Amino acid sequence: MDKIIRVMKLVIILLTTAIIQVSAASYAQKVTMKQHGIELVNVFQEIRKQTGYDFLYGDKIMEQAKPVDLNLQDVGIEEALEICFKDQPLSYSIENKIVTVRLKKPGFLSRIAAAFGSIDASGRVVDSENRPLPGASVKVKKTGKGVSTDKDGRFFLRGVEEGAVLVVSFIGYLPKEVSASANMGNVVLEQSLSKLDEVQVIAYGTTTQRLSTGNVTTIKADVIEKQPVNNPLLALQGRVPGLFIEQATGFAGTGVKVRIQGQNSWNYGSDPLYVIDGVPFSSQLLPGGNSILGSSGASTDGMGDISTVGNPLSLINPADIESIDVLKDAAATAIYGSRAASGAILITTKKGKAGDTRINFNLQSGWAKVPHQLELMNNVQYLEMRREAMKNDGILMPVPGNFGDNDLNGNWNTSRNVDWQKELIGGTAGYQDLNASVSGGGNLTTFLIGAGYHRETTVFPGTFADQKGSLRFNVGNTTPNQRFNIQFSGSYLFDHNQMPNYDFTGNALTLAPIAPDLFDQGGGINWAPDTLGNSTFMANPIGYVKNKFLDKKTNLTANMVMSYKLLKDLEFKSNFGYTSLSSVYTNKSFLESNPPEYIQYSSRQTTFGNASSSSWVIEPQLIYHKKVSQGTLEILLGATLTQNQGKATQILGYGFSNDLVMDDLLSAPRVKPLSSISSKYRYNALFGRINYNWQDKYILDLTARRDGSSRFGPANQFHNFGAVGAAWVFSNEDFLLDHLNILSFGKLRGSYGTTGNDQIGDYQFLSLYKPMAQEILYQGIPIYLPIGLTNPNLQWEETRKLQVGLDLGFFKDKLLFNANYYRNHSSNQLSNYGLPIITGFGGITKNQAYKIRNSGWEFSLSGTNISSGRLKWSSNMNLTIPKSLLVDYPDLEKSSASFTAIVGRPLSAISVYHFLGVDPATGVYQFADKNGNPTSTPVLGIDNTKIIDTAPKYYGGFQNTLSFKNFQLDFLFSFVKQIARSYFPGVVSGQFYAGIGNLPVSLLNRWQKPGDVTSIQRFTNGDALSQSLYNVSRSDAFWTDASYIRLKNVSLSYTLPDHWSKKMHLESLSVFAQGQNLWTITGYDGLDPESHSIALPPLRVITIGAKINL
Amino acid sequence: MEIKNCLKVFLLLLILLNTSCKKLVEIDGPETSLSSKDIYNNNATALGAVTSLYAQLSLRQLGGPGELSGLSCIAGLSADELEYFSSVGDITLNAYYQNGLNSNNVGNGYWVNSYQRLFVVNAAIEGLSTSTGISQPLKKQLLGEVKFMRAFYYFYLVNLYGDVPLVLTTDYAVNSLAKKTDKALVYNQMVADLKEAQNLLSSQYVGSDGVTPYSVDLEERVRPTKWAATALLARTYLYLKDWTNAELESTKILSNTNQFHLVPIEQVFLKNNKEAIWQLQPVYRGTNTAEGNTFVLPSSGPSVINPVYLSNRVMDDFELNDKRKTKWTGHVNANGLTYNFPYKYKVTSSREATYPILEYSTVLRLAEQVLIRAEARTQLGNIGGAISDVDIIRERAGLPLIETNNPNIGKENLLTIILKERRIEFFAEWGHRWLDLKRTNRINEVMQVVTPQKGNGASWKAFQQYYPISLFDLHADPNLVQVPGY
Repeated sequence: MDKIIRVMKLVIILLTTAIIQVSAASYAQKVTMKQHGIELVNVFQEIRKQTGYDFLYGDKIMEQAKPVDLNLQDVGIEEALEICFKDQPLSYSIENKIVTVRLKKPGFLSRIAAAFGSIDASGRVVDSENRPLPGASVKVKKTGKGVSTDKDGRFFLRGVEEGAVLVVSFIGYLPKEVSASANMGNVVLEQSLSKLDEVQVIAYGTTTQRLSTGNVTTIKADVIEKQPVNNPLLALQGRVPGLFIEQATGFAGTGVKVRIQGQNSWNYGSDPLYVIDGVPFSSQLLPGGNSILGSSGASTDGMGDISTVGNPLSLINPADIESIDVLKDAAATAIYGSRAASGAILITTKKGKAGDTRINFNLQSGWAKVPHQLELMNNVQYLEMRREAMKNDGILMPVPGNFGDNDLNGNWNTSRNVDWQKELIGGTAGYQDLNASVSGGGNLTTFLIGAGYHRETTVFPGTFADQKGSLRFNVGNTTPNQRFNIQFSGSYLFDHNQMPNYDFTGNALTLAPIAPDLFDQGGGINWAPDTLGNSTFMANPIGYVKNKFLDKKTNLTANMVMSYKLLKDLEFKSNFGYTSLSSVYTNKSFLESNPPEYIQYSSRQTTFGNASSSSWVIEPQLIYHKKVSQGTLEILLGATLTQNQGKATQILGYGFSNDLVMDDLLSAPRVKPLSSISSKYRYNALFGRINYNWQDKYILDLTARRDGSSRFGPANQFHNFGAVGAAWVFSNEDFLLDHLNILSFGKLRGSYGTTGNDQIGDYQFLSLYKPMAQEILYQGIPIYLPIGLTNPNLQWEETRKLQVGLDLGFFKDKLLFNANYYRNHSSNQLSNYGLPIITGFGGITKNQAYKIRNSGWEFSLSGTNISSGRLKWSSNMNLTIPKSLLVDYPDLEKSSASFTAIVGRPLSAISVYHFLGVDPATGVYQFADKNGNPTSTPVLGIDNTKIIDTAPKYYGGFQNTLSFKNFQLDFLFSFVKQIARSYFPGVVSGQFYAGIGNLPVSLLNRWQKPGDVTSIQRFTNGDALSQSLYNVSRSDAFWTDASYIRLKNVSLSYTLPDHWSKKMHLESLSVFAQGQNLWTITGYDGLDPESHSIALPPLRVITIGAKINL
Repeated sequence: MEIKNCLKVFLLLLILLNTSCKKLVEIDGPETSLSSKDIYNNNATALGAVTSLYAQLSLRQLGGPGELSGLSCIAGLSADELEYFSSVGDITLNAYYQNGLNSNNVGNGYWVNSYQRLFVVNAAIEGLSTSTGISQPLKKQLLGEVKFMRAFYYFYLVNLYGDVPLVLTTDYAVNSLAKKTDKALVYNQMVADLKEAQNLLSSQYVGSDGVTPYSVDLEERVRPTKWAATALLARTYLYLKDWTNAELESTKILSNTNQFHLVPIEQVFLKNNKEAIWQLQPVYRGTNTAEGNTFVLPSSGPSVINPVYLSNRVMDDFELNDKRKTKWTGHVNANGLTYNFPYKYKVTSSREATYPILEYSTVLRLAEQVLIRAEARTQLGNIGGAISDVDIIRERAGLPLIETNNPNIGKENLLTIILKERRIEFFAEWGHRWLDLKRTNRINEVMQVVTPQKGNGASWKAFQQYYPISLFDLHADPNLVQVPGY
């Protein structure tokens, strides 16, 4: 059929030209022309003018013509043509004053047909390294008709006019316009350097910032690998608007609190959903483990959650990660339904790429230290404080004896002046990180094998180390017909964490500067016996160096993605994933860590613990992809089946006969089970998404999900979630395209939808009794205790998310601006409802009617400031201004939350006393009562009328990348405006217990005599002012400015020039220096404004290293 | 066609999934737990749930408030029996000692643990009443035990806190809004519960199946019996000043000489002695009793582990040649001072793998019943009967008898002697002194002198005879009011 039409077309054209030829006037046969580099087409026109000869040619053919230099003076037409066609890939023939131009190729008829008819254009779309780009779009510009490339990058476009303009585009690449021809060979797309075209991984698919309807921020491997961190989450700090990350301590494996767009839930489940290569990953570790690591911000009073420490993401090697995508709004997260109320973080690991086999090494080594010391009292100041405290209390003589005032009663040498911060936390921790990988493959099969080793030690005295080794692989295969594709990845990480089970930081800050040496002359623990042989230095912490805590964790993840193209437009795909986290730990405490007096009450004990959780997931999906009208329609349907199982046990063995056998439970004469936990979580869902993109101008996104979770009672297991997202790329509108030169991109987008939360413990709807561990059974009877109050009516918590965003690109996308406003309403709150203990328990998990509103603004601005020649400078800035509000709480005054919750105030608001300094007459702290009058005895519930908000006011980051020749410098400042608990404003200043009692120098500014106006109350030795100290801890004086600007990360690298590395037979070699937490500007009075606790603060890490590609 | 087929298959899959969805998200309870439905439908687990009450009384140490068994130490500190070793730096102990409690520093007190146990008690009453799965004799015994225990907890709650909410169900919706109940009504409930318990409970000590009595030589007096209920009922009547019933109930036990009789001073706190009505079996390895661990001072004197010692006020109250002074108190010299300590329980903790269990912590003992009857008889005008009762105790302590020295003693003087006898007999035992001072309205008179001497010079205020309720509970229950005065 096509052929007939084409032949007919040809006939018509031939006829027409014949008529033209007949009517052609008679002209002179000579040609005169003198011009340099003239297009052949123009030459033909001139010849026609001069001679009347007509030319018959196709536009497409003429594109292959070369310009010619002519110097003709009255030459014959044949000679002129001879000259013109010399060296051209064209030939010609003259017939009846018609010059027919054609390619110098045989097959006359078919060529004529190709030249004049519509053709079947075919070709292959590849990237600059000749790798095929499957799924690229090839469209006829004029008609909008188009196809996508197959797995091999090939396309076949029927019935296109020869030479018509085709637009070839692919996510992450610059679109290209080419003219259609039958065999177009390779169409090479250049990777887009515009941020707008970077691939973003979203739930069950990918998109770009240009086309997304949701609020997604992507961080790529190059950013992650610039940061010496032991948890990939820490690499996101300060870089993602709307994402607040707080590191709990400076230990390897520390707890990390993550909040996306604020806290939507009162006390359960504000963790985002983590998904690694499509497989959900735990947001919290199981209970157990080393408590010094600090919490990851799990629910504050959810059952069993309190004891979870550390962070599971520290069991992911950051070097394995290709990209991290942070999904924030409903459009991006609603398809995850009940688990994404607090956003989602998608981690995509590195995959093998076709091409030569590449071997990469990334080696670095460094040092870490506590970045900041507090200014504490020295021995003179300390003793002055102690003596004054005694005097204030009317105590004439320090208490004698080893339990007495050892610092003043002659037991200790008062001329000592020890800097305990230097002694206990002043060491230098080591940092090593080695990674190697091999990757490569052909067009059908790709592979990657990687291995990593990571080691960190501590700043404490003694040798402790956290060591991690990891292996990972990825294999991908596509069948030659491109219909079947399979990807299989697996990784295994082993963490050997041998840390003290004690944080020395508290001691470093509070030990008296005159306290004795930690070790005695024989190298044993110095208990500093007095003349009677009784220990005076009971608080000597160094015994904890002897205790051994060993936690061996493993993380195994495996996942497989299979896809099969059922039809041209229909694909079936399924994820299969399995993860297993396990931890086996022993915590040994030796006799010698106790003072001799207590040894008779102590015994050698070892806690043997193990915890494991495993989960599997299966997600079958059907994807339908079709051009409909001038747009692309994509429909996704899928289902999720998942199950999670957890088990943990702890057994105490004690009374060991000697230190050597303490690793073996069988050697323990006495054994006591401490705990056993078992839980199962089942979850399944159906989900779907419809995405329609009309000419890259109007994009509509509909998602829906029906979820079922085993965490709820039989009546409430299922719930529906859904979202609508839409985007309008107004810069693609014709009326703007022609008028705006500065604006290169503009998009307005919005989304609205619901997500849910089921992050409560398992089984909370069941009324359960648990056996209680006992050393000796009462009458030999195992006993059972009720776990808690049950609520069979538990339901989903629901968060409605509204989001509006504006994305603008200026100066050919060199400057990108992005603004978001979000407003999340969370209702049906799953939270712990405080109950009076007369009900048997302190609370119950229950859906409550109050509403929390999280709203805020997110801005980011990124630009390429200089991009000329050797110097490149780009920067990126982001700012988030969050606000959370308790908007509605029906019957609050009748609720047990009436003392903590305030409607119309931020969720994080607390009511405290207003601090009025020290009563000049008595030297005791005073506060404003409810009428504003000073009082030293404020009443809780009445006088705490000052409201303060403890949440961050705003936060963000400022990042710069400078490159000059082969040097590249990156640095990131992160900043937070917030308040936090002050360090010790009201500790009993002047007290001494067992060696503890030192304070910051600032407390010397105390009240000494009537009339003194100060903010520090008088020194005291006893408990007399303990109520006063308790009051101050509930006052606004306790909350201090903890805002900071931190030079979070610096990376300087130098890439060796190519010819040097070639000489060394290397593909490339770069050396680098990196630093983390280098410098902080803050007014905070404690060790660190980020961790704002007396735990070991985040360390300053400096590393050097090299990256080698073979 | 192909599309249609594929879609059909997929839709079928979805439907299958959806219909099986229910199944896929249903879970059984964890292997580590039992559901409340099952717990009272099985002899062993029902027994285990009830036994938890005794195990927990036995579990607690004396170093802070919590389980009622800690009253021996804490209420002794609040009264004029024990002194606190201040270098220990325990703010809670110090507050109980100095009568300086308030709603902030009281912490859990005895309130939290007692009401937690009352939940178990009420759940057991509900569970046992509807249970069909356990044997009738066990059901009867356990119901009796939990009714007894309910009275036991309320007895201490009203004596420590005054009016308290009377919680008789497990329904949190009701309980969370509970008001305080008048003390008198709580006492009514106690009497009713104890009378029921008397009917339900076995008169023999039962073994680990909760039903079968022990053979005579192997008797373990570690579960409440009918006699425990009777003893507590006698005490309850005494506190209610129902002298007739107090005499009646105490006489019931005192006439059961087959099972109960006084034993020599040295044997009063030994396990399963004939004076014991109810004792607690140790559940810690290496431990006999918490009293022995805490009160008996090592040669180095008081410390964190042994933070209290016996007040000289007690020491000074012993009459000359009182055997109880030599047998039931001890002393050490340390820090240049002499520290006396309660030495009723003598066995301290042991790290040895094998150690003898000689002593059980005694909750109820016959000597109290003797003195209850003495007091009731005095009040009823039966001075002679009262004297003969008091003399039983004095005789055992090696003291001159009233019968011989002062047979014509008046009622008031005899009451004073009985009260003093109680002070000496029951020092550092279950807060008897603290409760007796309140019961007899002598607390202000005594504490006005004692409190200022405990440091700080703070004066005694009458409301301090009751401990305060923690702030959290006051906030959580809008109908709950603080103990007046706090």
